[in-house]
Amino acid sequence: MSDTPAQYVPAMDFHPQPQPGTPTPWAFPAPERLTLANGLTVLHCHRPGQQLVAVDMVLDAPLAAEPEGLDGVASILSRALSEGTDTLTAEQFAAELERAGATLDTHADHPALRVSLEVPASRLERGLTLLGDALRVPALPAEEIERLVANRLDEIVHEQANPARRAAKALYASLFAESDRLSRPRAGSTDSVKRIDRDAVKAFYDAHLRPSTATAVVVGDLTGIDLAALLESTLGRWSGESREPSAHGPVTADDTGRVVIVDRPGSVQTQLLIGRIGPDRHDPAWAAQVLGTYCLGGTLTSRLDRVLREEKGYTYGVRAFAQPLRSAADGSGRGLLAISGSVDTESTAPALQDTWTILRTLAAEGLTDAEREEAVQFLVGVAPLKYETAGSVAATLADQVEQYLPDTYQAEFYRQLTELDTDAATRAVVAAFPPDRLVTVLVGDASVIAEPIKALGIGDVTVIAN
Amino acid sequence: MANPGPASGLAITEHRLANGLRVVLSEDHLTPVTAVCLWYDVGSRHEVKGRTGLAHLFEHLMFQGSANVSNNGHFELVQGAGGSLNGTTSFERTNYFETMPAHQLELALWLEADRMGSLLAALDDTSMENQRDVVKNERRQRYDNVPYGTAFEKLTALSFPADHPYHHTPIGSMADLDAATLEDARAFFRTYYAPNNAVLSIVGDLDPEQTIAWVEKYFGSIPGHDGKQPPRDGTLPATMDGESRELIREDVPSRALMAAYRLPHDGTRQADAADLALTILGSGESSRLYNRLVRRDRTAVAAGFGLLRLSGAPSLGWLDVKAGAGATIEQIEAAVDEELARFAAEGPTAEELERAQAQIEREWLDRLTTVAGRADELCRYAVLFGDPKLVNNALAKVLDVTAEEVREVAAARLRPDNRAVLVYEPTPDDSNDDDSSENEEAAA
Repeated sequence: MSDTPAQYVPAMDFHPQPQPGTPTPWAFPAPERLTLANGLTVLHCHRPGQQLVAVDMVLDAPLAAEPEGLDGVASILSRALSEGTDTLTAEQFAAELERAGATLDTHADHPALRVSLEVPASRLERGLTLLGDALRVPALPAEEIERLVANRLDEIVHEQANPARRAAKALYASLFAESDRLSRPRAGSTDSVKRIDRDAVKAFYDAHLRPSTATAVVVGDLTGIDLAALLESTLGRWSGESREPSAHGPVTADDTGRVVIVDRPGSVQTQLLIGRIGPDRHDPAWAAQVLGTYCLGGTLTSRLDRVLREEKGYTYGVRAFAQPLRSAADGSGRGLLAISGSVDTESTAPALQDTWTILRTLAAEGLTDAEREEAVQFLVGVAPLKYETAGSVAATLADQVEQYLPDTYQAEFYRQLTELDTDAATRAVVAAFPPDRLVTVLVGDASVIAEPIKALGIGDVTVIAN
Repeated sequence: MANPGPASGLAITEHRLANGLRVVLSEDHLTPVTAVCLWYDVGSRHEVKGRTGLAHLFEHLMFQGSANVSNNGHFELVQGAGGSLNGTTSFERTNYFETMPAHQLELALWLEADRMGSLLAALDDTSMENQRDVVKNERRQRYDNVPYGTAFEKLTALSFPADHPYHHTPIGSMADLDAATLEDARAFFRTYYAPNNAVLSIVGDLDPEQTIAWVEKYFGSIPGHDGKQPPRDGTLPATMDGESRELIREDVPSRALMAAYRLPHDGTRQADAADLALTILGSGESSRLYNRLVRRDRTAVAAGFGLLRLSGAPSLGWLDVKAGAGATIEQIEAAVDEELARFAAEGPTAEELERAQAQIEREWLDRLTTVAGRADELCRYAVLFGDPKLVNNALAKVLDVTAEEVREVAAARLRPDNRAVLVYEPTPDDSNDDDSSENEEAAA
């Protein structure tokens, strides 16, 4: 233990830390818009060199539109879209996609149902034809839907055993009123999924999937491609009557400070998820909140990991983040604000104690200029890298669409970030994470952690069975 | 298959400094970003008995400062410059990478050189004790606290003999992580962290002459040394000597059948043939196992094959089937064996082969679509196969494999007597009261 580093004399020549060169200007790409004859809105963006083209569909089928008692029908529909068409069986459809070197991912979430195609530019027409057919004439075969329902029931058992998934389920159930779709698992519970059959899936498809309320985002190297004509001959063949787009209700939550322990006997770690709701991207303070939240818990040199990981070794890493839940054009939407990570069982109460100390210190003393500067440099500087691929650009543009944001939103966000001062970032993050308005979910061994947690005084403690 | 793009040919230049550091450059000015990737030719296969996990623990210590970089300064400086960074440790190598805005490339080179040449000036007990705890929590989070989390470790141990360098996985055991000393870490650095045991690749928006001048300036004076011992011999017979099998009774959500088949070494034509065989049998929703087990028999919720490519030991073909409610392992195993036997006898159809090649082509494009992905592949070909330019032939080699070669490798290798098997049986729900002792007993 008495060894000191000083006895090692490196043999290399040292030079001063280099200064940066001249930055190359970069801006988040501006998409162009067009509308197909069937009413489908298209955003497209040419990205030279990106040979994998990304096509993200935003379909106006929010989870809140699921019929009562049928939670999960949107998810089963999303999975069933790739289970065959009028001319291809489920196996043939999967084979055709793979033959085109394509992948098709689907996901039903609170704002919309998303379908994402990635395909080499050389096979874009084939990929778009398959995507178009999946939307236009899906077979939705009864026997495949029966299988998807059975698979989902098995999946629920696996989610229940996964600490991170279990924590999310408990947090949403605690934050939101039972009547709000947000309170219940996105892909449904055992009771609701059991009720889903072909008729329910077909009815949901008929009611909600139509080109006039859908948007396609196409990003990639589109050199030599007549995109408008190609889209008309593929996605343009999809037809459906025009309807008003969905309206999204406001989001409210109970963020009275409290603790919910999901008992998982024998756990060697405790999964933490500490959350509440806050602004979505429509709020003028969103950029400041992103900046402040990064300083709190964006990386291992942020305030949380500086103590919990790099000083105490309680964790492999804890992150603070904000993520829009459900947005509306009038700005009544909200996002989830959360701190998430896992700590060894014995360190659970000390880690929470430190977390609350960090939050209180932040509220009392604010961020430093140096923290703000480093965070801005990172968030802005990393953008060209984050948006190097077509898929990442398409996903962000599709998020903007489903959150009712203008096409220039992301570019404007980066401009705002560079202009924010330290006080603005402090105000936003302190407002986002008030120590007495946080719901703490712990998935871990209640017999070990419950008593020390009660002693922390961060709210009433409830223990529930896993 | 004509598909112009990065896969059809990267412009690659190679250089070697007097101290032995190999440098690979590839220019691409489409986006103003540049990736720096440094592979050290050391992985968990170089670890000795009683010190498993040391290569990975050491990788963490590389972020704890060096002569001119403060504790965590590496992260602060790279992220503060708008870059992203990390490091990873596998059986065969340890890699460190930064992707930077192009005008910050020089900073990344300065940082990598500083720790390559002077890590020991900063490494101390405080860092060692802290990162030991962090890595133990990494192990808990990724392996010990999740269902089936230790399957990889268990199946790897079953697949390689007890004294084999690949018998243990990079995360190491808790006991060995506890036992590692500061002196072990110092010795590890002195043995393996030298310019002549590394390859540096730089890819993206760069000026080659300027870049090489910077590399020479920052890395050129770091002395090379020849203290490294080759890893213990990983030579094994082409096939296993019969099946080995372990039954695990644990609190998992469903039954599972996992297996590892011994396959040809990475870099061989037979490994590419095996990749195609596993893709046809078990990758994606048109694969034979998915169609059989998930769609038709409905005995599984997930069924797939993956390839763990290894160059210093036989590769492993990784089978993972999660049972559906009510299905038995016997049913699933019989169906898997039947499908493998049929494939070994008949081989792939022309359409299946075309599909598998298209999938592999797409995955390859995906990997090469970012400068960081390209930088990593260049290091991989340079370190494991001696020549970064091999990257430009890699896809063509896979597309050249014939159906008969795919059938042959399946017939020779995807056999019950050439695998290690791990079977999971869930314990009943009411066993939770006393599960720790039960787990230990069942896993023994």
